[in-house]
Amino acid sequence: MAFMAVAIAVRVRFFARLRELAGNETEALQVPPGSRLEDVYETLRGKHAALPLRESVRAALNQEFADWSTVVQDGDEVAFVPPVSGGL
Amino acid sequence: MRYDVTTGPIDARELEAVVTHPGAGAICTFSGTVRDNARGQSVTHLDYEAYAEMAVPQMRKIGDEIKQRWPAARVAMAHRTGKLEIGEVSVVVSVSCPHRHEAFEACRWGIDRLKESVPIWKKEHAADGTFWIEGEETKPAIG
Repeated sequence: MAFMAVAIAVRVRFFARLRELAGNETEALQVPPGSRLEDVYETLRGKHAALPLRESVRAALNQEFADWSTVVQDGDEVAFVPPVSGGL
Repeated sequence: MRYDVTTGPIDARELEAVVTHPGAGAICTFSGTVRDNARGQSVTHLDYEAYAEMAVPQMRKIGDEIKQRWPAARVAMAHRTGKLEIGEVSVVVSVSCPHRHEAFEACRWGIDRLKESVPIWKKEHAADGTFWIEGEETKPAIG
């Protein structure tokens, strides 16, 4: 029988207001294989109740903006960020 | 080409020196400076925070897009992070082109794209509190 990982590890980074709401700049998180970015974020919302709904957040995977449905891999860097400044 | 996120002061002349060359007849440089008011309130200072490992590649991507649209353009961009006082320069985009019309257009396009897509956030310290500026929205900060 093939070996199946029971969990993969990702490095999570929060920026700006999300960093303040999470109370953390970075954390290591274990999630089941096949987890998507949205699953990772919902797991984090379970740990940090102050994190906002996904609608007002963007996800980045390995330093590129990514869709919420993207599956994460062991060793990935996952970042959750607010909308950027914009400005007039 | 040069793309920087830096905690120190930005010298627009240095970026211009990067983009200037004998075939360029125009250099257009945009400098964003810290304004002393927002939303009708006085502002004391700003804090900028960057996801630097992502911000620099995003800037490079914008530079590459400028060169696709204006093939003769040369581009340099820098954004400062940390605490900035009123009047200090937070961001500079400098573009050289053979002629002025394309230099103006490319520079404007570059700063607009930077504001939309480069992961850098502004925290405003104002008379009525401290706020994160998220696009059109202003949200109270905790720290």
